[in-house]
Order: sequence, then C-alpha cells, then structure tokens
Amino acid sequence: MFLFTIREAILRGTLIFYFAFANIIIAFFAIALRLSPEDGKTILLLGNPVLPRLPMDFDPVDFLLIQLQRSSTTSALLFGVFAVAGLIPSMLEKGTVDLFLSKPLSRTSLLLSRALGASTGVVLNLMYFAIGMWLVFGINLGVWHWKFLLSVVAVCVAFTFFFSIVAISSLITRSTGFSIMFAFAYTMFSSAIQARELTLFKWWDNVVYHRTLDAIYYATPQLSDMLEKATRIIGKLPFERGPWDQSPAGFDMWPFVYSLLSASVIYFLSIRYFSKQDF
Amino acid sequence: MPIVQTHRLSKTYRSGLIRRSSVEALKAVSLSVEPGEIFGLLGPNGAGKTTFVKLLLSIVLPTSGGATILGEPLGALVIREKSGYLPENHRYPQFLTALQVLSLFGSLHGMKKKQIREKSLELLKLVGLEEWKSVKVKRYSKGMLQRLGLAHAMLNDPEILFLDEPTDGVDPVGRKEIRDLLRELRSKGKTIFLNSHMLSEVEAISDRVAILNKGEVLKVGTIAEITSRHLEYEFRLDRPLSDDTYNGLHTFVKIIEKDGKILVLGLDEKNDLNRVADMIRQDGAFIESMTPRRSSLEDYFIQLIQTGEGK
Repeated sequence: MFLFTIREAILRGTLIFYFAFANIIIAFFAIALRLSPEDGKTILLLGNPVLPRLPMDFDPVDFLLIQLQRSSTTSALLFGVFAVAGLIPSMLEKGTVDLFLSKPLSRTSLLLSRALGASTGVVLNLMYFAIGMWLVFGINLGVWHWKFLLSVVAVCVAFTFFFSIVAISSLITRSTGFSIMFAFAYTMFSSAIQARELTLFKWWDNVVYHRTLDAIYYATPQLSDMLEKATRIIGKLPFERGPWDQSPAGFDMWPFVYSLLSASVIYFLSIRYFSKQDF
Repeated sequence: MPIVQTHRLSKTYRSGLIRRSSVEALKAVSLSVEPGEIFGLLGPNGAGKTTFVKLLLSIVLPTSGGATILGEPLGALVIREKSGYLPENHRYPQFLTALQVLSLFGSLHGMKKKQIREKSLELLKLVGLEEWKSVKVKRYSKGMLQRLGLAHAMLNDPEILFLDEPTDGVDPVGRKEIRDLLRELRSKGKTIFLNSHMLSEVEAISDRVAILNKGEVLKVGTIAEITSRHLEYEFRLDRPLSDDTYNGLHTFVKIIEKDGKILVLGLDEKNDLNRVADMIRQDGAFIESMTPRRSSLEDYFIQLIQTGEGK
C-alpha cells in the first residue's frame, strides 16, 4: 500500500510538473554556475558575479542555497499539497474503499501507509531537487554543502508532520478540495500563530485567549517554525527577520519535537476516527 | 459447522450532528451458510444485502449481534485473508492496468510477486481478459470491470467468495460464463455468498437462498423449498377420472385444476396424499406422475415482499 501510494502520488500530474521544473532549475544552475577563472573565488551566474553587494559576513554560497531551499520548500508545499491531498479521499471513494478494507490489513496500517506514502511522494521530489543542486554546487564550485542536504531532510520531516493535518481533514471531510483549502489555510495560520505574541495577542488582551492560542500552537504541528529552523541549518540568515523573531540564531529542534508529539496525537486521533467509521 | 453464522446481527446507520436521524439497515439477522454451497441473498434495493456482506467483512461495524466466519469472530484479519470480495460498483485506480490491479491487491494479501504474476495470468485468462491485461482499467467497459473484479476476488484462492451483484452490466454470454465459473468453484469446495436482485441468476445456481426485506430475513431455504406451493400436487393420469371419484375427492381436498388427464389438488395435510392415490387407483386410473407444484422464485419473491409473510 505504501509503495502503491508513492507511485500514485508521483503519477499525479502536479508532481510530474514539479519534477520537470526541478530538472530545469538543476540544468540551469549546472550550466550557469561557475567559479570565476580569474580569482577562483568569485561565484559567477551566467558569467556575472553573484551578489557583489552582499555584506562581508555572509557566505554567498549559503545565501544562494538558502534562497534555493526556501523556494523549493515553498513550491514543494504548494505542489505537494495539490498532489497528495487527494490521496486519502481517493482511497475513501465509494467503490474503492471496500476493495481496500476487505483486505487483511488493519485500518491503522492502511491509513498510515497512505499518509506516509503521500508524504514520501513529495519528499522524494524534494530530495531529488536537493541532491541535484547539491551535486551542482559540489561539482561546479567545489563546495559540498552537507548542511544544505540536512536542511532539506528537516523540511521533509516538517512536511511529514504537517501532513497529519491534511490526513485528518481529508479523512473527516472525504473531500480533496476541502483538504487542499484547509492545508493552505493551515500554513497561513501556522505563520500567524508562530508570531502570536506580537500579532494575535494584541487583538484581545485576555489571558484565557492567550493561553488558548499557546495551547493551539503546541497542540498542532509548528510548520512555520520548523521550516524556519530548517533554513537556519544552512547558515546565517542574510535578511531582516520580522519583529517577532526573538529566537536565537541557528538550529533549534524543539519545534520538531513538539510537532512530532502533536502529529503523533493527530495520527492517533485519525486512526481512532477511521477505525470507527462505516464505509 | 457453518462457514458463516450470524446471530441477531443488526446495523443502524446514524447521521446528523444536531438532528440525529437513524435508519435500521439490518434487524437481528441470524443466518448460516454451509461450506461448499452457493448461498444467494435476495432482496429489493435497500433491503440490507450489501450492508450484511460489509458487516461480515468489517467494512461496516455492527450495532449489535455477532457473527463467526470461518470459525473466527467478526473483525478477525484471518477472515479477510481467506475470503474474496467483489463489491457492487467497485472502482479500481484508473491509472492501473489489469495486471497492476491484481498485483496491488495480491500484495495486500501478502502474496509473493511471482505467485501474483502466475495467478493473475491464469485468472485473467479464465475471465476472458487475457488480451486486455496491459490496458489501463479506465478503458474497460462495465462488463470487463466485473470480470476483472471476479479475477480480483479469486486472486488469493479464497475459501469463501462474497459477490455483490457479480453479473451487473455483463452480457448474457458473460453471465452464463460467470454462472459456470461459480459452479466450477463450488465443485472445488469453495463457498459462494451471492448478493443479487437478479432472481433468475440466483435461482439458476444457488443451493440455498435467503430473502431479505427492510433489514429482516423473510425466508431461508433451498429453491425447491421456497418455491414449492404449500401442499399443492399435480397428478398426471392415463385417463380422466369418473365423476364419482371427483366428488369423493372433493370432500377432503380442494380441486384446483381439472383438465382431462391432469389433476391439481390442494391438500390440508400431507397424509391426504395416500388417500388421494388410493381413490385414483380404485377408479382404475394409472398415476403416471405426481409432482409438488412450484411457483417461480420471482412469483414467490414478489408475493413475499408485498405481503411481508414469512417473518
């Protein structure tokens, strides 16, 4: 079921498009990215120096990789949600669900294989792009940036935790459209609740309201936090952070720990719900 | 020991969060299916036939009551391991070919790749889809999907097959082929649970049937038991009887039909049969045959559903 889901995820047009797009970007950088033959240090893109005005304490390779990681993460989230949000509803469609439930598989393994398969479909695409770019930077610039790969692994973990939200919403509504909308609404909500102390708290100065938002923050996968921490693995962030960013620079694994716990609880609830449903 | 035994199995569907509404789909259904028989579950649309099968396979969860299948309680994985199921209006992933469909579901049964491949080719040949094995199922007609569904249901060599409307959308030749296939499976000792509203189909192949209406079992028995009219017998004689004999018969039996050499009588009790035979012989007539009269399953079914008798 797991392998079948990965295959179904990959065969969906959206991920094929992402894959094709990733290949174009990799090919572009493979052709366009070079070290200057004059000093052997300056990074050239299409023959022009990359970011000549970058402050001295920022590494241009880190900067480029951070940009690439951010854009690939955003597009992976966008395409990924479109591609795989329908995988659970499609399994639950009338006429299909009977076929799966009549097999000697527990509903727990059925749901988890489907959810993990869906996440893996996206993760494979993301990893393909990351490894491709990592090779291009290594071969063309001689920079084998392991932290970049590690950061993409962290993004993949974040997506897997985030998918618990997609899984439970698509399980309850059995609707692909709703799951996609809910997933996007959640990504926005995740950013808002991450910055709650400087934004949402100001809407209403009430302790119960504040603690409720805190509880929601810890009870749900902290997508925005995880993605940000994943980026920090690569290096120092070369741009202004928002005023809400009071966390110390560098990687912090707590958002991943909290998200692991909340995703586990959400998957547990999803399994309980799925096990009690008639189809 | 029955292969399927249900005890007061009930299912009530509930819906709505604020205004709760409920539908009693099955009401305390107790049935048993013996190993190696073709058991037909008949009923009009909405009678609860599909719910009953789904309950047995744990696709739907019971509200009350219980069942054992293959000696295991409801919900045991081993039941699904040893059974095959062809759901009504099944829908396979459209991007798969027939071989890939069987490969997917074979792997869910824990079968090995080589075993799946061999069994799939054998079954696709059996159901007449050999030439279509590498074509995506989105191109299949309804009849072809039914055939593939049958192949899928038989993939794990199940001990019991649950078939929900297996001939739906299949042409007459295909229907006959499916009937022959089911008979062949029975001869190999397989048990077949057939859900259908196509009475002629069920009548043609089932050893026993149950008639379900509004969630209740109205009648269970062999086709012969169900269709034999209550103590109605048809006598074929070598000559018509004399008026005196007719008058004599009339005192204790009901003469339903009197047409020369054919006499149809309605009896109050079975013992009267010997008395009737004696009187005919005393008249000097020869009884060429004596058969209980049957109605068609369709006649009986319609009468039963309309009157609700048999509960």
